[in-house]
Amino acid sequence: MIEVHKLTKRFGRVEALRGVSFKTKRGAITAMLGENGAGKTTTLKLVLGFLRPDSGTVAVAPGRVGYVPDRPAHFAGLDGWTILTLARPRRDRGASGNGRGFGALVLASSRSLLFDPALLRRRPASYSAGNAKKFAYLQNLILEPDLLVVDEPFSALDPPSIRAVRNILCGLREAGKTVLVSSHMLAEMERIADGFVVLKKGETVAHAGLREWRLLRTARRGPDLESVFLRLTGAEGPGPG
Amino acid sequence: MADPVLFALTWRVTRRRLLGSPPAIAAALAFPAFVVWLGLTDSYGTAAKFFFFLLPHVFLISAQDAVRSDIESGALESVLFLGGRFRGFLGLKGLALAAGAGAYAVVLFALFAAWGLAAGGFEPAFGLRFALALLAGFYYIALAGALSYVLRAGSNVLVLLLVQAAAVGALIFSTTARTGLLDHAATGEFPGWGPRLLFGALAAVLPNVVVSGRLPAFAAEVLAGLGLAVLVQSRLARRLELLS
Repeated sequence: MIEVHKLTKRFGRVEALRGVSFKTKRGAITAMLGENGAGKTTTLKLVLGFLRPDSGTVAVAPGRVGYVPDRPAHFAGLDGWTILTLARPRRDRGASGNGRGFGALVLASSRSLLFDPALLRRRPASYSAGNAKKFAYLQNLILEPDLLVVDEPFSALDPPSIRAVRNILCGLREAGKTVLVSSHMLAEMERIADGFVVLKKGETVAHAGLREWRLLRTARRGPDLESVFLRLTGAEGPGPG
Repeated sequence: MADPVLFALTWRVTRRRLLGSPPAIAAALAFPAFVVWLGLTDSYGTAAKFFFFLLPHVFLISAQDAVRSDIESGALESVLFLGGRFRGFLGLKGLALAAGAGAYAVVLFALFAAWGLAAGGFEPAFGLRFALALLAGFYYIALAGALSYVLRAGSNVLVLLLVQAAAVGALIFSTTARTGLLDHAATGEFPGWGPRLLFGALAAVLPNVVVSGRLPAFAAEVLAGLGLAVLVQSRLARRLELLS
């Protein structure tokens, strides 16, 4: 679904990416992990076309692509409903597009996200951080994407909303959609991801299916994803005791 | 290929932004009020001179918030603009601004012409002067749009206004000489390349000077400038990346 090959990107004197390569599978959730400044968001932006690589290639299979940023921002002058209608799929705009089907989709998606549809009358700039994040999910869900890219999927969300989003991401996978998430929440990633890519200082240091490392962990009575991540990134510090 | 969804989005964002901008609303209200006041206290002819000369500045004020604020707000990093569509949005924004300001100008001109026909002061040449005022207005939108790739909201227009103030100061100074630029512009005849180039430079920062209709060469210069500014904008948009 996504194939990234030897991506490099430089911002002035800063070498943000130094050869990132990975593949994601259709119908799977892939977690991109890495410390702050490892190049996760830069990689996502290159995949999404917001940035251009200095070298390397990004190939994304044809289909609808969705994106939920870490901190969503919206045009100041538009209310939530207007923004949703602008993202409305074209098939709902035809002669029979009386808005009923679209409205039902918005309501159903809002419900699954625990998002209050009454908020759509207001401008997203006035939403709380959690509601702004849920609104960004809503904007994507109504597009029914084949590939959903999410930067920090659970940031700003309360525990019920985290569960709701987790269910949505898993539901997309069940429906054969592809999900690429970048996150620091390793326990959550271990719970939902089917594979992971670990970046360190702009390079891929590990790329594996979760099944592979789970097998490894079972065989060795090994640690959890957090310990694996810390070992891979060389960030192991002194333990709690 | 034209993207109607992207244009609808661009149009709605631009329209809301214009209607929510105090300077744009103030300019849109103050300009016709000033012209009417001139017409009532002096004459329709005087009002016509100021109407055509000042009309391009309404376009300039409307272009104060063209590009940089959208880039810095983070609003372009949205599902609506994936795969480089944000570049198309920024490209269409100038078009949407020109359409909005142009529609406003057409309505004002229709009212102004109706007033002139009723008062008996309307001249057929006003049609040409209106077209030249539109040309100058579109030039302002393109120029301010190109500047807004590097300057923050409002400062793109402010820079142009400051340069214009300096140019007008220089123009006033030149009229103190017996054969100043203003005299040449009034007759449409320039003695040699020096004054011609100087007036060309003035037309580049204050395209309003071409609305008299007596300076076709300088109107062509403004038209070329419009094309160049659009080209520069399209180059800048093509190279743009969302770094924030």
